[in-house]
Amino acid sequence: MMKALIVRDLRKTYGKTEVLRGIDLEVEEGEVFALLGPNGAGKTTLIRILAEGLSYDTGEVLIFGMPLSKETARLMGYVPQESIAYGALTVEENLRFYADLYDAPADGVGELIGRFELPPKKKARELSGGQLKKLSLAIALLHEPKILILDEPSNGLDVPARRELWEIIESFRRGGKTVIIATHYMEEAERLADDVAVMNGGRVVAVGTVDDLKRLVGEGSIIHIEGRLRAENLPDGVDVIGENPLRVRDVRRELPGIIEALVRAESEIRLVRIEEPTLEDVFVKLTGRGLE
Amino acid sequence: MKLRAIKGIVWKDVREISREKMTVFWIIVFPMMWLLVMGGIWGHTSPPVTVKVGAVPHDGEALSVVHRMSNVTLSGRRLFSVETFGDGARALKALKSGRISAVVVFPAGFGKNLSTGLPAEVLVYYDRSDPQEYQIARGAMEGFFSGFSNELAGTREERLVDILNTVLPRNTSVKVIPLVEGVARPLAVKEGESPGERVNPILFFLAGVMGIQFLFATMSLIGNGTLREIERGTLRRIAASPATAWDFLLGKFISTIVVILGSIFGLIAFSWLVFKATIWPSPVGWAFLLAASLFSMGLGLMIAMITRNVRTTSAAINLISWPMMFLAGIVVPPSTLPGWARSFVNYFPIGRALKDFRLLEIHHVRTSSVIVDLILLLGIGAGTMLAAAAVYGWTVRRIE
Repeated sequence: MMKALIVRDLRKTYGKTEVLRGIDLEVEEGEVFALLGPNGAGKTTLIRILAEGLSYDTGEVLIFGMPLSKETARLMGYVPQESIAYGALTVEENLRFYADLYDAPADGVGELIGRFELPPKKKARELSGGQLKKLSLAIALLHEPKILILDEPSNGLDVPARRELWEIIESFRRGGKTVIIATHYMEEAERLADDVAVMNGGRVVAVGTVDDLKRLVGEGSIIHIEGRLRAENLPDGVDVIGENPLRVRDVRRELPGIIEALVRAESEIRLVRIEEPTLEDVFVKLTGRGLE
Repeated sequence: MKLRAIKGIVWKDVREISREKMTVFWIIVFPMMWLLVMGGIWGHTSPPVTVKVGAVPHDGEALSVVHRMSNVTLSGRRLFSVETFGDGARALKALKSGRISAVVVFPAGFGKNLSTGLPAEVLVYYDRSDPQEYQIARGAMEGFFSGFSNELAGTREERLVDILNTVLPRNTSVKVIPLVEGVARPLAVKEGESPGERVNPILFFLAGVMGIQFLFATMSLIGNGTLREIERGTLRRIAASPATAWDFLLGKFISTIVVILGSIFGLIAFSWLVFKATIWPSPVGWAFLLAASLFSMGLGLMIAMITRNVRTTSAAINLISWPMMFLAGIVVPPSTLPGWARSFVNYFPIGRALKDFRLLEIHHVRTSSVIVDLILLLGIGAGTMLAAAAVYGWTVRRIE
């Protein structure tokens, strides 16, 4: 399968601040690829180099094997953080304008309005946050791009609007298209991404599937046990990381042995909950700080 | 060049502008208000005026002149409102307080000189604090005394002719009397009517408002319009699209011209409806307006791209436009400008374009007499646009 995006040793400075410090990435065609990192990690700069033609200092960026150009601009649809709709224009007028700009088929306007249930005659400045995001998404899809790039798409959206947006992104992926998302929401990355690049301080600190990355934080899940507990004679290798309630790190197969040991020690167990490691744990482990 | 992208930018801009109430006010309503006010005040023949005069007569003969002065009428209205003073000091005090515009002092012996046929003189003082009123008062006074002097000359001439007829031989007086008439009235000035259509003064102001639109509105529309695209982040998006920088600039230029033309057509119709006089420019007249707009748009875009800030751009545009409206003879007749300011009329491109436009459309001069200016102005306009496009390209590459 062809690489939708290849980034090699990409560097960018603003003044004296180096915001991208040698980024290397490869995104397969047809996958959802998430750039996960806190604010200031360099995600938006990377996205803007890809989608807005922002200049960079050194490195190489290839879209389907071609360097960035007006030609590759046609292959990408971009949803920036801030709306790019013109407030004084209606939904339909905004879409028609961008269709003209990208020389996109005019009948796509009506089709996208219907698909995203947008009010065609309402001015963009009168739309809700969710509707504005859908309008931005419709604008990005007008010219039927092969790669959809979204920068923090969930920002400012309530939960229902966020879930609706995710469904739209998933339907795009089902159409065999490539999606690149910059986000600092783990839930978003976990739900949507096939592969995740963890970014921090202008660098990619890890790349892989969500499961690959979780394995980086250790083999075990965290088992959270509440009750009157006597943590004696636990199986070898079980790592006790808290006492009240008892938290142990272990693989799931050890759970029966742990429960048996607790019962044998005459513990009263009220609740057992298994906590899977999250991308937050991955991030904390890789960078030593949280995502927010 | 992508025509569809250019068309999209033009329609988008025209729609946006037409929905912004403040812009509609400045582009459509304000020029009409300006024309209404300027045309209402100065756009027709001046109304009859009354000059307040203080008179200081010292004898009965002077009093009779004052009486005559009081009865002079112009267009059915008294030209002078005369107040008589007992002494010059009080009259001058009234002049300095602004209560009257002129003081006429008839010195002692005025009457005697008048009645005996000797040279008589009067002393006139004016209030010069208001240049306009001073010009009116001076013109009225000189007109009155010139008429009075001519009448006096006629009376004296008749008396002299009577004397000459009695003292000179017949054949001599026939030769001498016309000379006497020539001495008494060396030059007679009569006002005539020029043939053909009379120029309506409102047309001067209509052309002036068109000039304001090309000077001020085009600069502001393109400068602030482009900056708003930068601030909203839409310019980055447009720049990243398949449309080129030239597509964007052409779209902006065309949309600005479309909006300004809408305003100009509105003004042309408004002038016709309200003043029953208007200008429908000839193709060469339109070409002058196009040249002015090219220069103005180029300048506006350059200012915007250098300042990169809507407020600073507006301030810079105001700083150029407001003085130039007057100094470049756009809203005031160049004849009223001091000598140093007249160079702006000739060398500031919009001032020059408007001067030629007026010559062409109001005074109907031959196209050949302005064609060199037109070619130069189109060249200056195109050059300014190219420079603006270069500055735009430089700025857009640096948008972070």
